[in-house]
Amino acid sequence: MKKALSRQHFWSLTITGTIGFFAFWYLARALHFSPPQFLPMPHEVLFKLVDLMEKPFAGATLPEHMIASLKRFGMGFGLAVLVGIPLGLSMGWFRLLDDIVTPLFDSVRFIAPVAWVPFAALWFGTGIGGPTLIIFAGAFPPCLINAYRGARNVEVRFLEAASMLGVGSFKTITEVLFPAAVPSIIAGLRIGAGLGWLSLVGAELIVASSGMGNLIVRAQSALATDTVMVGMIAIGAIGVVIDILIRRIEKLLLRHRNA
Amino acid sequence: MATIKFSDVSRVFERDGKDFLILDNINLTVQDEEFVAIVGPSGCGKTTCMRMAAGLEFPSSGTVKVNDIQVSGPGPDRAVVFQQFALFPWKTVYDNIDFGLRGKGIIKEERESLIAHYIALMNLKGYESAYPHQLSGGMQQRVAIARAYALNPQVLLMDEPFGALDAQTRVVMQEELVKLARKNPRTVLFITHAVEEAVYLADRVVVMTSRPGKIKEILDVKSVREAEKWDQHSKIEDVMDQESFVHLRTRIWKSLREEHAGADH
Amino acid sequence: MLLLFFWYLATTLTGWINPSRFPRPDEVLKAFTFIQAEGYGNGKLHQHVLHSLKLVAMGFAVAVSVGVPLGLLMGYSRRAEALINPAFLLLRPIPPLAWIPLAIVWLGLEDGSKILVIFVAAFVPSVINSYSGVRNIETPVMEAASMLGIKGRRMVFEVLIPGAMPMIFTGLRLSLQASWTTLVAAELIGALYGLGSILNQAAQDIFPAMILLAMVFVGICGASTTGLLGVLENQAMPWRKGRVAA
Repeated sequence: MKKALSRQHFWSLTITGTIGFFAFWYLARALHFSPPQFLPMPHEVLFKLVDLMEKPFAGATLPEHMIASLKRFGMGFGLAVLVGIPLGLSMGWFRLLDDIVTPLFDSVRFIAPVAWVPFAALWFGTGIGGPTLIIFAGAFPPCLINAYRGARNVEVRFLEAASMLGVGSFKTITEVLFPAAVPSIIAGLRIGAGLGWLSLVGAELIVASSGMGNLIVRAQSALATDTVMVGMIAIGAIGVVIDILIRRIEKLLLRHRNA
Repeated sequence: MATIKFSDVSRVFERDGKDFLILDNINLTVQDEEFVAIVGPSGCGKTTCMRMAAGLEFPSSGTVKVNDIQVSGPGPDRAVVFQQFALFPWKTVYDNIDFGLRGKGIIKEERESLIAHYIALMNLKGYESAYPHQLSGGMQQRVAIARAYALNPQVLLMDEPFGALDAQTRVVMQEELVKLARKNPRTVLFITHAVEEAVYLADRVVVMTSRPGKIKEILDVKSVREAEKWDQHSKIEDVMDQESFVHLRTRIWKSLREEHAGADH
Repeated sequence: MLLLFFWYLATTLTGWINPSRFPRPDEVLKAFTFIQAEGYGNGKLHQHVLHSLKLVAMGFAVAVSVGVPLGLLMGYSRRAEALINPAFLLLRPIPPLAWIPLAIVWLGLEDGSKILVIFVAAFVPSVINSYSGVRNIETPVMEAASMLGIKGRRMVFEVLIPGAMPMIFTGLRLSLQASWTTLVAAELIGALYGLGSILNQAAQDIFPAMILLAMVFVGICGASTTGLLGVLENQAMPWRKGRVAA
């Protein structure tokens, strides 16, 4: 393997790469790879971003769209967490529950969240239920699976100690399994949040009247490419922020543990 | 003429902003076709010495020369036998030995006979099409040794090659290596922490101090071996029974013990 | 099996779930025969399936042929990694589905836009996993390779690729999964052919049985392509543990 790069070398290459990316963008535009309205220049996108903070597009300003999306995300993800984690932990503890739920789960879990959109539309119309269902479909499996695995992988001696002390099932789950499964649960939360956010965007592309996904779709029909790009960047940025937040929570929760 | 020459070699290692001196002013010459073993406490830098000769690491000061040419990187002229075998898991035994040969411009027939020769020599007959994961540790190391020898290198560098093997296998491998080394003498730098192994195999044994590693003393084994005719005993336990062997071994043990007493824990 | 029974129970026998909300098993069967015989939404079932397969295959193929070499390069050369990483990090957070409107602006509602989006979705896992694959090759093995004087083509084809293979295949599997998900979404938004278009049409026509049928077939396609990949994987790595030597 090549040796590690020196600090300066690394940064100079990284900066070159970043500049190269934007240079390529400008170049693509200069060489007329596509008509101007299809490929805005980077600074145009930036201006549009600032613009959209104040001026509404497709019925709302950028922050308003973001809040609408985040609200839905919060509901769907929150539901996935509130149902998935307790259920996963319980399944890890009660064999019977595991045997009942697992086959049901396995048969539906492979269906891509977005494929639930038609049913969501059918059952919930354009209300908040639809996107919530889809986000739930995306975020639920990782939450469940990781809570389950975390519970199952708890070292047997902890469980033996608990039963020796006469601790009942409920307490075992909440005070033994849960803390032990925290790292796995957090990993599940991160994956679930990522998938949930993705699914939300997908859902909003199709069946929403507000929100980020809706924003970019409306921008697309209006051929407002710069708005489309602003939306895309904002969507990506929010995804990153959500991930960072969860990692912060993880650090906080794990602070009491030694590495 | 294949010599290894360490001239005023020092190696500093930086971690977390602090400097650690691993090797301190090493001066050592391994003569042509000489088998030199380096023993020392853990962390004394003996492996680092070998890696510098191999070109996998570089001295912070001083020079390491093989055949009077400064080492600038790894290459098949300085074949390495790693402690972890380092065979390519996706290649058969045959291909593992062949891999290094193919780049040397040797025609196919010659390669085939060369590989067959070493496979026979290392008792690997019948395993040509096996994959590493199907072989025991000892077998894998045999392949690694065959691979190194087949390169016909100027210099052979062995980094605790039997360290990962169980005791019985290790003994067998030591006997095989001795036979090979006496039959095909080469310049060898052999790293080990097992004193008996060093005394059994080597012409000279270098004893290193604990970190920072310096050369404490160098003992000449070859003259004793030839005088006492160890090689007339085919079994390793008979050699190790010899008074002269025990004397040398104990001598080195004592030397090392002094180092351990002073070493960090 | 239990699920099927439960389903049948809930819909047909007890009428517990309203049939206009969720189809009964026999309705789905009827839908199946219907689409086979007379077609639905511009084509028969196998035409739709083939169309979707075609798009996935094309997007996947391009993504993988660009992504895997790129990942290998970034894994092997720290220089390449430092240079390419910025562009990668900037584009990666944007979910593939979010590319759909842009793809439509650039390439219209035809196949091209779908393939672009599938490419974006399949590209990232391939790169990341190939990268990890190279990085995970054990150091002694890499040192042995440089000791033997292996360089250039031999390094790439006889060390890096075989060494990274297991993770390359993980990446391929993830890329394939992403391809299908993205395709369905893209076709849902607007397409003439394909499984996603069936979903779309059925949603508009309020035809639950057809919706479910399409979903089932998406699952089947996904599972069978993944299975194919698994077979390929076993063929490509004869040296793995658990395989009997010849």
